[in-house]
Amino acid sequence: MEELQNKVPCREEQLNGLFNLLGDGDECLPCSIFISGSMATGKTLCINAVLRCLSYKHVVIDCIECYTPKIIFETILSGLEDEEIEVKCETMMDLVNGLNRLQEAQLGYNPIVLVFDRAERLRNLDANIMSAFLKLRELCNLNICCIFVTHLIYESFNFRRGVREPIKLYFSNYNKEELFKIIFLQQKTFIHHLLVTYEVDNEIKGELEKPELFANFLNAFLSVFYRPCRDLIELQHMACVNFMKYCEPIIKNEISAMDLTKLWRHISPILKSSLELLYLRLSDAKAVKPSPGKENSDTDSIPHNFENMLKEELTSTKTFAQSFELPYYAKFLLIAAYLASYNSPMEDKRLFMKNHGKQRKRLQQVKAKAKISEKLNTQLGPKVFTLHRLLAIFYAILEEKIGLTSNLLAQIATLVELKLIAGSKEIDLDTAKYKCIVGYDFISAVAQTVGFNVRKYLYDFM
Amino acid sequence: MSDLRTDNPLEVQIKLIRKYLKLKIMADNESFHGHAQERNHVYDLFKRTVAHGESHSALMIGPRGSGKTTLINSVLQQISKEVDLSNDAIIVRLNGLIHSDDKLSLKAITAQMQLENAVGDRVFGTFAENLAFLLSCLQSGADRRCKSMLFILEEFDLFCHVGRTQTLLYNLFDITHSAQAPMCVLGVTNRIDVVELLEKRVKSRFSHRHIFLFPNEDSQGAPHVKYRDLMVNMLCLPRTKTVSVKKNRRSRKSTVTSEDMEIDQETNSLPDTIISRHPNLQHLDQEFVQDWNAHVLSLAEEQKVLDCIEKLCYYTVNEQIFRNILFELVSKLSLNKPYIDVADLSAIIDNTVAPEHRVKLLQSLSILELSLVIAMKHGMEIFDGEPMNFEMVLHRYTKFANSNSSTQTVPRAVILKAFEHLQELEVIMPARGQDHSTDAGATRAHKHYRLQALATPTHDVTEAVTKFKALPTEIRHWFGNSVV
Ligand SMILES: Nc1ncnc2c1ncn2[C@@H]1O[C@H](COP(=O)(O)OP(=O)(O)OP(=O)(O)O)[C@@H](O)[C@H]1O
Ligand SMILES: [Mg+2]
Repeated sequence: MEELQNKVPCREEQLNGLFNLLGDGDECLPCSIFISGSMATGKTLCINAVLRCLSYKHVVIDCIECYTPKIIFETILSGLEDEEIEVKCETMMDLVNGLNRLQEAQLGYNPIVLVFDRAERLRNLDANIMSAFLKLRELCNLNICCIFVTHLIYESFNFRRGVREPIKLYFSNYNKEELFKIIFLQQKTFIHHLLVTYEVDNEIKGELEKPELFANFLNAFLSVFYRPCRDLIELQHMACVNFMKYCEPIIKNEISAMDLTKLWRHISPILKSSLELLYLRLSDAKAVKPSPGKENSDTDSIPHNFENMLKEELTSTKTFAQSFELPYYAKFLLIAAYLASYNSPMEDKRLFMKNHGKQRKRLQQVKAKAKISEKLNTQLGPKVFTLHRLLAIFYAILEEKIGLTSNLLAQIATLVELKLIAGSKEIDLDTAKYKCIVGYDFISAVAQTVGFNVRKYLYDFM
Repeated sequence: MSDLRTDNPLEVQIKLIRKYLKLKIMADNESFHGHAQERNHVYDLFKRTVAHGESHSALMIGPRGSGKTTLINSVLQQISKEVDLSNDAIIVRLNGLIHSDDKLSLKAITAQMQLENAVGDRVFGTFAENLAFLLSCLQSGADRRCKSMLFILEEFDLFCHVGRTQTLLYNLFDITHSAQAPMCVLGVTNRIDVVELLEKRVKSRFSHRHIFLFPNEDSQGAPHVKYRDLMVNMLCLPRTKTVSVKKNRRSRKSTVTSEDMEIDQETNSLPDTIISRHPNLQHLDQEFVQDWNAHVLSLAEEQKVLDCIEKLCYYTVNEQIFRNILFELVSKLSLNKPYIDVADLSAIIDNTVAPEHRVKLLQSLSILELSLVIAMKHGMEIFDGEPMNFEMVLHRYTKFANSNSSTQTVPRAVILKAFEHLQELEVIMPARGQDHSTDAGATRAHKHYRLQALATPTHDVTEAVTKFKALPTEIRHWFGNSVV
């Protein structure tokens, strides 16, 4: 038990609850248990640790992998079978028969636990399947318990016919202190990861291994990241990436490990900028996550840094858009498409014709209304437009005069191909309809490269 | 971990008590109490079919966990003591959850009648032919007398669901009218309007005999008093040693007086079938049992216990839920905690009736995510519950963030992630009535324009915010100030 508490910190209450409910090997199991809690709150970890500790026979069914009833049933039966044999099981009836057969043959009344992880997926199947699992104990002859693990709350399951009610447990999220404690426990893996990535003198190594240094880093880290994110997995990942950067100047002998203020000044802008990378995991394929098993990651160090650079570059929409080498007219076409998508056709005349003084007053009224409803066009998403309108706007915003060439039409097709605008690739002047599917950040970056001010032509910003 | 090898006698006894009670609460599916009239009704139907060769049909209707299945088990158990059920009758139990179509049902019927060999590879034209063949097989027995049949169809409403022809039901009910074989068909369901689901030809063959099982109707006192007594009954251990059960059995037939004496013990103890599976229950120490029972009785005297149970009954009178509560309660017993704690009972009941998981879920969100929820709540207040898309929520949130210097700015991509996270947790859900048929590429690109509605009641948001201790004050303030 002690040992388990150390392995799964900050979950005493839940661990105890599970141990009590599942009891000793010869006790009767509850019919079903429903465990919910936000992502990365240790649900699966706890239940697996408890089951391993109790050494009950159990099968874990990942409902994402087991996406049809048949796969679920067969996973269960083959998981309970002692030998490796191929089982065929199509229906709930086969499953129940199979379980009863196993009961007679080998299981007896020993406790059996079925864990349905990511059980929210079960809602995609026939509702009767989950209802049946909720009362599986009644349907077959075993001392069996079904545990459902999900990030949704019980009410989200919405059983219309009513079900046998499970016992419910809740895993609340870790607070800041607990997150600190948990990540802090992994200091060794962090250091290890650091050491395989960089070459470090023995002397500095001693400095790096000091827990105070790590604690200081973690405090700084959480002060920035805790607010937008409480997902332990994500935080661990980001902490690992940033800890490397935190230690970089120490390794290079630029900042002393004792100089906390300087270190803070060094890391604080880095943390802020890496906030943008939260959840993106661009370098997921490489060994960024602290994994103790990875001893041979020396070779990873260089590509890792390179990737970081790439990552930073890619993630900013602006640089991304600017790196997009579109032909000159294509850029204007795209801008025209954007304007067509986010302006109402009624305002085209006013926006794109030179003399339109009369409508000022009406405009203000309309604007006032729009302000109240707060439903600005730019917030509602793009509207479809016809090719005619696109071309009209295109000619209006382009200062020079060019003819309608097939080249121009081909460029529209290219934009569709590049998934910058949505619509058919066939060009038909009368029926083709399009929608611009890039965002404001992107379009303003593109416009900048041709010296065009998008805001000036967006109704919402007038 | 499970060290039953422990030498501490106290610990052994507590473990045994725990084990015994868990079995009694969860595994005992045949001791039935209350509803004497309904139970007699079912008993009567079954008995007449088995003993006198009559045919009947009936529906038993009662809410979830009202003991329908238990009632049937207990009746069958009783009848099996009185007549030779296995020789005189065939019991076929089907469950709509398992036997989801007529083909499976027929397969199950064949198996439960043990006629798989007789059927072999035979192919039948129609369902009726198949059923008739099964019945004829039974008749060809040595004494040429057809066995009585008891058909019990649980989750009966699933047998008459749309998209499922009611051939099975039609044929079964039809047999109860013909003199082919004595048969009782009992449908069990929690849907009160189930007869409306029947096809006309089925309906006309059904006897329209209804047996209702409502949790409260037969109790004289208030439901919580009944549940308190039930709790005592569930938690008390039988006074006589379980070993002596066998001895009592033998003496039962001889004198009536000894039977009367045992009544209390009978209702308290587990059925023999379960006890025989767990031989170590014999080691329960009699002195210990007495002590425990005294503890349970004193517990029942406490006003606080009664209050807790009353609270529970206010929300639900589902006995199955009550048993879950008792199970949780009993599972907390240990060497360090050999007695039941009233505070535990109260906590478990609170957790069951008002789990507030939604509030806890909201409190598990990051500050940013909760801020988006608040932004959305404000937006919905202004626009009369109209759904919003990401851009609108972002607009409100940025307005707040800008007016507040202490909130650090967060990149748009992270906010979008937070928004998606809320979606994944189903705190917010896509507004209804939007077509999902537009081509996938475009809709994915437009996820921030999809209209979303807050799927959480606003009072839950309010509660989560007010009880969230670590929430920064400016957000609390913003929440209270509402509409800008
Ligand atoms: N009157 C009763 N006597 C004994 N036990 C009962 C009674 N009512 C409910 N129970 C207990 O409650 C639990 C649920 O009962 P049961 O399964 O019989 O309900 P049900 O009506 O068949 O429910 P469902 O509609 O889900 O099939 C069982 O553990 C059973 O022992
Ligand atoms: Mg039932």
